[in-house]
Amino acid sequence: MSKIKDLFNSGKFKSAFIPYFTLGDPNYNDSIEFGKTILDNGADILELGIPFSDPVADGPVIQRAVARSLKNKFSFDEIFRVTKEIHLHKQETPLVYLTYFNPIYHCGIQTFLDRAKEAGVVGLVIPDLPFDTKESETLFHELRKRDMDLIHLVTPASTKKRIESLKKTSTGFIYYVTSFGVTGERREFSVDLKERIRFLKDTIQLPICAGFGISTPEQANQIAGYADGIIIGSAIQRVIEENGQNSPKTKDVLADYISKIRASIT
Amino acid sequence: MGKNQPGYFGEFGGRYSPEILTEALEELESTYQKLKKSKKFKKELEFYLQNYVGRPSPLTYAERLTKHWGGARIWLKREDLNHTGAHKINNAIGQALIAKFMGKKRIIAETGAGQHGLATATVGAMFGMETVVYMGAVDVERQNLNAKKIEMLGAKILPVTAGEATLKEATSEAMRDWALNVSTTHYIVGSAIGPHPFPTIVRDLQSIIGKEAKSQFKKQNHKLPHAIVACVGGGSNAIGMFHAFLKDKHVAIYGAEAGGLGPKPGEHSATLTYGKTGFLHGTKTLIIQDEGGQIVPAHSVSAGLDYPGVGPEHAFLSQTKRVDYRMVTDEQALDSFLEVTRIEGIIPALETAHAFHVAREVAKDLGKKKDLIICLSGRGDKDVTEVLRLLGERSK
Ligand SMILES: Cc1ncc(COP(=O)(O)O)c(C=O)c1O
Repeated sequence: MSKIKDLFNSGKFKSAFIPYFTLGDPNYNDSIEFGKTILDNGADILELGIPFSDPVADGPVIQRAVARSLKNKFSFDEIFRVTKEIHLHKQETPLVYLTYFNPIYHCGIQTFLDRAKEAGVVGLVIPDLPFDTKESETLFHELRKRDMDLIHLVTPASTKKRIESLKKTSTGFIYYVTSFGVTGERREFSVDLKERIRFLKDTIQLPICAGFGISTPEQANQIAGYADGIIIGSAIQRVIEENGQNSPKTKDVLADYISKIRASIT
Repeated sequence: MGKNQPGYFGEFGGRYSPEILTEALEELESTYQKLKKSKKFKKELEFYLQNYVGRPSPLTYAERLTKHWGGARIWLKREDLNHTGAHKINNAIGQALIAKFMGKKRIIAETGAGQHGLATATVGAMFGMETVVYMGAVDVERQNLNAKKIEMLGAKILPVTAGEATLKEATSEAMRDWALNVSTTHYIVGSAIGPHPFPTIVRDLQSIIGKEAKSQFKKQNHKLPHAIVACVGGGSNAIGMFHAFLKDKHVAIYGAEAGGLGPKPGEHSATLTYGKTGFLHGTKTLIIQDEGGQIVPAHSVSAGLDYPGVGPEHAFLSQTKRVDYRMVTDEQALDSFLEVTRIEGIIPALETAHAFHVAREVAKDLGKKKDLIICLSGRGDKDVTEVLRLLGERSK
């Protein structure tokens, strides 16, 4: 049984808070501290970014985070070590990886999944792997064998037909991309956001979590009114960027921001 | 989509781009399938190719170079004589027409050497479309003449400072722009790369190079050439040159890729020699990457070859060994640049100079009375400042 499914069924929250940050920014050991801080202050699921040199679905804030991370020598050993440390800090919070497909493919799908699972990861989000590829099918089956989830992205441009056909290979939750473009904080969202999420909920029997562009407690509160979860990346990454290393101040700002968002969606 | 389905060349190709682009790619594919069969589209494309680009481009017998190299007879397919000075315009015109048929009012492009940016800015001006060109900040410097021309034509250049600030980053940035503006904008991809259907569209539009070369050569010589050569960055001029000859098994085909400064990672753009299968900019292909699956920055003296990936069809042709891909170093390309300029009175692009180096080797191996066609993908005006700088360094 999927950990994510259990969590959404548990009734612990009205809407889930799913923060994201990039591992290795500014270095791997600080990531452990940031992860713990975020977990302590109210993440329901934590998304960990495995850096990739060419993040085409990401805006400038996350691009810069990835670039800072890759100044450290990238290694899967480090990624899994850090992930495990974060996982052991609060084992009941599901961890998912967000990364591009190339590093996973390069690592080898089987090896990657075995090690990710061992480190405490229960699902994957891969923005450049459409569900209708051979690789996505392979990945889906391998994940199922390990009780892990493949979280698909659906966008304002996805047609009804396409949404229908991704049902077969979706588990965990649906990552609904709230706006056109790439990740990054935004002032406004597409006008039919609410209707689209409703339609998705009716079509796919999975929780629908919204991300891309959300940054303020007000936005989170508003969208939590109709989405099953809120995903926030760039705004968190900006806190790390602006405050830098694992100083008490960075952790304070992070803790404050995370708890405010968590409070805004209950 | 899957193996053996449209969009794949063997195991390479496909569509591995963010979900937000899928609809646009499907629309592009279905529009293109319709237009490909439409007489009106074909006529319009032909009209512009003849009356604006200046096609057919000549097939020139290079008498002096033939003598100088002392081997096979050398023929040049003169894409340098196209309007804007390179093969890139064949594709830019075709895709701008497709954009027009789709009702898109804005076009964007990525560019390395600036030739594709220049071609796109030119068709943007001619068709009256808003045009934005993404160019690595480093390339804006080293290809400054093209950057200036692009702006003069009324297009906007957005310099990209991320990463190595070259073609790879410009491509990522153009994809991001497209994701944001996909309903109003067509992304004119400049090489045979990117998610399906781009590698196929670009190849089809560029295949006029090889078709013309083949029929021109046949008309003059009543046979086929023994070998053909082209340079490979993303691989659009090469696949355009090669395509008409792929089934002619006795025609030997050679591709020249950038060996840069040497074999160390980060010093070259020799994807077909050193690349491993992976996923970049929407396609499954050979890519220069490290043990972590991170893309290794590419290097080439020529901005147009400075890309760590390659069109998926080339990855396939390399795997099946139909094409012999060879590396040419920066130094060798520079020497060929000077040699061709002096001997033949044609200043080739630094990109093309790579093809000349391979051609020289091949011509020697073939020996006299054999025939070799080189795709002269573009002219080298844009490279003059950079070449002078390099010669200055060399003489130090
Ligand atoms: C003259 C010329 N030749 C070749 C290339 C390489 O592109 P491709 O490999 O797509 O033909 C470029 C790219 O800018 C170019 O300007």
